[in-house]
Amino acid sequence: MIWGYVAYGVMYLLNKYWWTVPLERFYSTLSLPSWGWPLTILGTLEMAVLCRNLGRSLGLRAFGLEVWGAEGGPPRVGQRLIRLLAWHFSGLPFGVGVLVSPQRAWHDLVAGTVLQPSPPQAARRRAWLSQWGLMALLLLGLTIWLGWLIVHIDIGVLFRRGEEGLRIWREMLRPDFRYFAVPDPVFELRNLPYSILDMAVVTLFMALLATVLGALVAFPLSFLGARNIMGFSPVGWGVYFLMRGFFNVFRSIDTMLWAVIFAVWVLWGRPLAGVLALTVHTVAALGKLYSEQVEGIDPGPVEAVVAAGGSRLEVIRYAVLPQIAPAYWAFTMYRWDINVRMSTVIALVGGGGIGDLLFYYKNEGDWAKVGAVVMVIVAIVWAMDYISGRLRERIT
Amino acid sequence: MTNYPDGIVKDPPKWLTPQGLLDIVTPVLQGMGQRLGVVFLDLLAVGVVWILVSYTVNWHSRGEISYTLAPWWLFGLVTVELAALWESFGHSLGFKVARRELVGPGGAPPTPGQRVRYFLGWHFTVLPLVGLVFQRPWHERWAGLSPQPISLEGRIPPPWWRTSVGIYVAVFLVVGLAAATSTTVDEESLNRLFTQAWRTVKFWRALFSPDQSIILPSIRDLLVTIFMAVMATSFAVVVAVPLSFLAARNLMRGPLGRLIYTTLRGALSIMRSIEPIVWAIIFLVWVTARRAPFAGVLALWVHSIADLTKLYAERLESIDPGLIEAITATGANRLQVLRYAVVPQIINPYISFTLYRWDINIRMATVVGVVGGGGIGQRLFFYLKNLAWQQAGTVMILIVILVWAIDYLSARLRAKLA
Amino acid sequence: MAEPYLVVENLTKVYERGQVVALKDLSFTVEKGEFLVVIGLSGSGKSTLLRCINRLIEPTAGRIFLSGVELTKLSPRAMRHMRRKIGMIFQQFNLIKRATVMTNVLTGRLGYNPTLLTLLGRFPKRDRELALKNLERVGLSEKAYVRADELSGGQQQRVGIARALMQEPELLLADEPVSALDPATSHSVMQYLEQMNKEDGVTVLASLHFLSLARRYGTRIIALKDGQLVFDGPPEAIDEVKFKEIYGEEAEEVEVR
Repeated sequence: MIWGYVAYGVMYLLNKYWWTVPLERFYSTLSLPSWGWPLTILGTLEMAVLCRNLGRSLGLRAFGLEVWGAEGGPPRVGQRLIRLLAWHFSGLPFGVGVLVSPQRAWHDLVAGTVLQPSPPQAARRRAWLSQWGLMALLLLGLTIWLGWLIVHIDIGVLFRRGEEGLRIWREMLRPDFRYFAVPDPVFELRNLPYSILDMAVVTLFMALLATVLGALVAFPLSFLGARNIMGFSPVGWGVYFLMRGFFNVFRSIDTMLWAVIFAVWVLWGRPLAGVLALTVHTVAALGKLYSEQVEGIDPGPVEAVVAAGGSRLEVIRYAVLPQIAPAYWAFTMYRWDINVRMSTVIALVGGGGIGDLLFYYKNEGDWAKVGAVVMVIVAIVWAMDYISGRLRERIT
Repeated sequence: MTNYPDGIVKDPPKWLTPQGLLDIVTPVLQGMGQRLGVVFLDLLAVGVVWILVSYTVNWHSRGEISYTLAPWWLFGLVTVELAALWESFGHSLGFKVARRELVGPGGAPPTPGQRVRYFLGWHFTVLPLVGLVFQRPWHERWAGLSPQPISLEGRIPPPWWRTSVGIYVAVFLVVGLAAATSTTVDEESLNRLFTQAWRTVKFWRALFSPDQSIILPSIRDLLVTIFMAVMATSFAVVVAVPLSFLAARNLMRGPLGRLIYTTLRGALSIMRSIEPIVWAIIFLVWVTARRAPFAGVLALWVHSIADLTKLYAERLESIDPGLIEAITATGANRLQVLRYAVVPQIINPYISFTLYRWDINIRMATVVGVVGGGGIGQRLFFYLKNLAWQQAGTVMILIVILVWAIDYLSARLRAKLA
Repeated sequence: MAEPYLVVENLTKVYERGQVVALKDLSFTVEKGEFLVVIGLSGSGKSTLLRCINRLIEPTAGRIFLSGVELTKLSPRAMRHMRRKIGMIFQQFNLIKRATVMTNVLTGRLGYNPTLLTLLGRFPKRDRELALKNLERVGLSEKAYVRADELSGGQQQRVGIARALMQEPELLLADEPVSALDPATSHSVMQYLEQMNKEDGVTVLASLHFLSLARRYGTRIIALKDGQLVFDGPPEAIDEVKFKEIYGEEAEEVEVR
């Protein structure tokens, strides 16, 4: 796989430099010419097999394996070469040789070598600039080169358009706080007669509501997603996997994307859409954190309560809850902090809050007012970060 | 001064030396700071509840978002009086947070008379702030009370939810939720929440019947997103590693070091509190929307620098000083100490933080795309805006798979590094 | 009479803006080849004393001479030069946990080698051979390429000794070398120190917790209490009364076998 990546990268660069493909639309350049793909695959296999047989490849290293001679000791050069040749007949045709005798593949049989776990602490010097180090450097260099081309990094433009950039910064650093406490008249048209301060408060309320609702929902769900609580019957296991799947799927859809869905569902630009988006993501994220906390408790007290004849609920109340309470509070604070951050920008996708002003002014090109809003956002996020940090410190 | 007879030359008075002056001033300032902190916290706590109530009442009575329920002087007066009452007759939040309580001489619980005197005296000393200059402010002397560390000897401590902190948290949550729900939830949207669910059905259906024709181009965009994250992370590392040494408290000693440390930490925390999306809109205007992915990279880069430097510096702050001592003791110079005592302790955590940040950057890169920062996010937002639900659902699946895979990969690698 | 090897004169160390006095006007001398044990309660200033000698901690006042050179006057650069001859081993071993034993031992030669090479992790062949020899001496030649955190406590301390040996020291400072070890391992580690003292003629300054170990290995004992010298003499001279004076009324002597 590593070599596949390298081969792809090399082909991409060749493609770009020698048979230049027009670069008008950047994604079109990610593909290779038609003859490039077979060549890439072939190159990959050849390089992989060379690497596997002449040294210790990354793949072998990752699985902690090593090629050894059957008599013990490292394989001789002849054995390596035979293994290299034989691999083409046993590994290449869809891995027949490996499938037929998985214990010891054909090419190993022919070459008289074995694949065995590498000894944990061989008494030998560690080769510093081993394959691994070189390979990592090579990969890193290639990746950055590729990335540079694919992303179209153009540092010059920052200076060529430096005037423009400076203008933005200058205007933002001279913020216009005229509408801090008084509603800006332009919003009369949009039926949003609120000042920056009002919107800041709404933003905080959104985060508060989402955090509290999310924590309230996630709290019971977290027990359903904990192995040591649910792992008592097939039904319990079913619920456990269901909960875990739910947490994982819903967590990996970002809050911003949830906001789009809710903005269509409810109303674009209403705070409720933002609150719902934040809540859904909070439930999933907190549920996962909480249930991991439940799984990580000390089983001692559970044993004690069970020994005293406690039921499952009593176990939760007297053995689990006391152990997890501080962590629950800390996670909730942490989430509150994240929610405040998110709620400041969720307006972009129709979630409401202070971001509404930010994006409106930005579209107007009124950078002085953007500066004012950004400063308010920074102040809010900063304060919340500090408060939540201090509270977490005190709790744990 | 040892050769003179006794009593001819004496040490200078304590308050003439800078050290002595510091010794005298420090406890006064500490006492003042503590008392001010208590008063400030109580005022804040009462004020916040009042404001929250105002929001609720205003929304329901006048239908507007506003904190002005009463003239400001009334607000000030009520807040101050309530805070004073709370401090004198109850166990206020400020005292609780400072872990102090009011006790009479010899640790006796205060009598009602003492409390009344404390309450009255409070107005004359704490309000104009003069009383706080003294080690024991006037009202405390008059009432014969003083704040002492809470002693737990011979009594059962109440569970925390029955202390003033717990009660305050409960009140705050109730009032806060009331205010929050009234200002953020409106009837129209709530109605739609229950009646308009069908609008998203198409989207959910698309999750099971993806539009196969757009999968290949979407994968190309995914690649762009991954590379955006890679570039942003690797450029950020280049900047963050040197910065982290300047942002580590234990390495930055002396007045100049302190100054650098403080300004750097402040600047970083400002950079961190601006979401990458906001950075992206700034950079998009700067480098023009034609280079959208580059703008996305810049936005992620700035945010990653701030975040990584903080993580790195925190790690540096917790390195084991014993190893530095040991290497220094062999006669090594500063560079050698760095190479053999500091680097081995930080290299793996640094790599692990970098991977973690890369993981986050991939998520953020999808979001940054939404404002036009390039990559898969841009495509997704395009479909969503045009209500192309099936395509949007397809892209969503791909994003979820990518995020999962990267999450898993980075977690595995980090576990290996630990 | 010749100048003693190590002279400590009126050594005083005050921490944190005059809040804590760790060492109070401490004076003593050490002859070459002695095995001097420093005893005292935790917090009596033993560690501070040892660290003042190689100036890991800067003394507040007082002077220290090592074979006639005033250490307290030296520039940082000259002090680094001097430190090469002063080995040190630590209570918590202070090894590079993620590096191999070999690397750890080689760090003892850092002061002798050019910075540029050591930054790249290169050491001369002679040093590598010396490292293997020293590891053999502490009985760890098998473990040369094992990561240091895979060793047991006693083995780690022996790596620490090998690291100190690499410096080819004249003076060895041992800061509670056996406090983190169990009694049996303690003796083996102490025996290596004794061997260095007897065979290589290294002067050893060791702080110890247990009086029994001090009696067994020391040729002379000094005792600190609240940063002041309360006893200086041969091990046999510590009797019940002296013991109570050093360790307080409630202490009882524990034998380490």
